Parts: sequence; structure tokens; C-alpha cells
Amino acid sequence: MKLRFASGWIAAALLLAQSSAAEAHIVAARLGDFYMGALHPFTDLRDIILWTATGVLAGSLGASRGRWLILVFPLGLLAGLQIGRTFGTPPTELVDAAMALVMGLMLAAAARIPTSLLCAMAFALAAIRGAASGTDLGANTDRLLFAAGLACAGYVFITLTMALTVVFLRTEPGGPASWRTIAVRALGGWIAAIGLMMASLVLAT
Amino acid sequence: MLTHPAFAHDQVGVAGGLVSGLLHPVTGIDHLIAMVAVGIWGAQLGAPAIWVLPVTFPLVMAIGGVLGVLRIPLPMPEVVIAVSALVLGIAVATRLRLPFGAAAAVVAVFAIFHGHAHGAELPGSANPLAYGVGFVTATGLLHLCGILIGTLTRWPVGERVIQGLGAGIAGLGCYFLAQGVGALA
Repeated sequence: MKLRFASGWIAAALLLAQSSAAEAHIVAARLGDFYMGALHPFTDLRDIILWTATGVLAGSLGASRGRWLILVFPLGLLAGLQIGRTFGTPPTELVDAAMALVMGLMLAAAARIPTSLLCAMAFALAAIRGAASGTDLGANTDRLLFAAGLACAGYVFITLTMALTVVFLRTEPGGPASWRTIAVRALGGWIAAIGLMMASLVLAT
Repeated sequence: MLTHPAFAHDQVGVAGGLVSGLLHPVTGIDHLIAMVAVGIWGAQLGAPAIWVLPVTFPLVMAIGGVLGVLRIPLPMPEVVIAVSALVLGIAVATRLRLPFGAAAAVVAVFAIFHGHAHGAELPGSANPLAYGVGFVTATGLLHLCGILIGTLTRWPVGERVIQGLGAGIAGLGCYFLAQGVGALA
């Protein structure tokens, strides 16, 4: 019994010693550019803050108004990527800060903005961030795959954030405003405060 | 054998900025007690202060942060920060009932001074945006802690505990004030 056990260990050790690196990663098949596009926004705090603000603002306005962003936001990212490629991308720090401030204030004030204004703001924000994302593209990066990854990430993130906000804010019909409304408004205050700090840090440098 | 690890290095990068920003309001006792006291006082005052303050407080504090980052000086910042702990501690200990506008104005002035200190002490090598995110988050969470502690007012024993806490905060404020005016070495 002991001998069989020992021989099993030896066989396993031999197999491990002969193993080579797996080539199963999709990165090697150039689909890495897709994942590069999909992950790029999550490596930048500005994208995380602004995308979250957009999703929560849309969700706070309700599913009927917010659902337009499912289409508008990824399209804005793609448009921005193309605009950035054609015309170049100037520094966007101050605009990013202003957008965080405005969206945060709207959330904090529980402003009921019209759907057209929400869509216009979301498209502009997505276009600016899309253009900024394009600045990190390398010469060998497959632009189509990168754009597809970026658009998919935008679609998934905005849809999930919006849906979570809608569910979080769902109250009984005719019921009083709950602590959940206050929590979302407080988050708006935080985002506006971060926007204000961003603006001052840009101006200071 | 008796040496301690050196903490001379600035936190660097995004992670460093986040950590610095999160820890800054927590590690300064004068800031920490004032932030918690604002939350407790808001809970004692009830509506609308209990929900208006969490929404507006970080924003007003960020205005102070902007002044600090831009190096716009405020008069006697250390003294005012100590006074804030003293005044807010007394307000909690005595259950001071001010009209909402007056209470908001008092808190706003103190918030600007606290924010100024955080903005002025931004570490050079840390990612500034990450520092801002950490600082706003920590401030908001401290405020939330204060509100949660303030809910103890529903019970008579809890009310006494909170008033005792207020007295402690006022006492610490006195200590910091004495330090600020140079009465203590």
C-alpha cells in the first residue's frame, strides 16, 4: 500500500517537472486588446468616479428615464475614442472635475432633470472619457478590439450601477422617503466634494 | 534593539493617496472628535439636520480643502479647530437646541477650517485625486459614526452616555485649545 502511494507521488512529481507554460490565455490570441479596452477604465479613479456618478444619477431618476443610457453611454465612449483619434485629446482634468461636481450636486439636490439633459450629459461625459482612454493606445493595439472592450465595459457598468440604484431606492408606493434616499443624496454630496477637490488640485498644479 | 520602524516615507501613488486621505482625518484626534461630534449633534437635533448634514458636510469641508490646496491662509486654523471640538462637545453635552440655520452655520465654519487643514497637508508624492477620495470618504464615514452613536439618544441611559461623550470631547477641545494658544508646552 505504502509502495503504491509512494510511486503515485513520484509519478505526480515527474509529471509536474515536465510541465510547460500553458498557452491557454486569450491574450496570446490578440483578444488581449479587448480586455485591455474593457479593463482600462477601471484603472483610472476618474473613470470610476464619473461612471459611478452617471449610473447612480440615472438610477435615481428611475428606470424609465435611465434606460436610455444603456445605449447612449457606450455610443458616447465609441464616439469619444474616434474623436480622440482624429483630433487628439487635450488634458481633461478640469472638465472631469466640473462634471463630477455638477453630477454630484444634482444627486445631492435630488434634481429631477429631463431625460434629454441626462442623455446629453452622459453622452458628453462618455465621449470625453472615451477620448481620454484612447490616449493610452499603443501602436500595435487592435483599435477595434479595444473599442469593443471599452463599449462593453461601459454598457455593463452603467446598466449594473443604474439597476442597483433603482432597486436600492425602491420603496413602498406612497411610503415615506427612506434612509436610502438620504444615502444616495449623501453619496452625491461626496462625489461633488471629490469634484471640488479635483478642480482645486488641477488649479494648484 | 530599541529602534522603531521609520515612518518618514510619504505614501506614494494611487494606493498611497487613498491610504493617506483615509487615515488623515482618523489619525488627527482633534479632527476625529470634531467630525464625530458633528454627527452626534445632528442626530440630537433630529430632522432636518440629521439628513442635511451628511449631504452637505463633506461638500462644505471640501471648500475648505480647496482653500488649503490653493494655499489661501485662514486666521488661526489650529485654534479654531480646537475651539470647534470645544464648542461641538459642549453642544452635545448640553443638548444645545439651536435653530437649524444657526447650527448649520456653526458647523459650516468649523468644516471649512477642518477641510483647510486637510487640504494644506496634502502629501507631495501621493496621488492627489486618490487623497481627495480617501479624505472625503473618511470624513463621511466619521460623520456617519457620529450619527449612529447619536441614535443612542432614544434610550435614557444612551442619552447620558452621549452627554458624557460630549463632555469628554469638550475636555479634549480645551486641551487642544491650550496647546494652540501656547499655554501647554
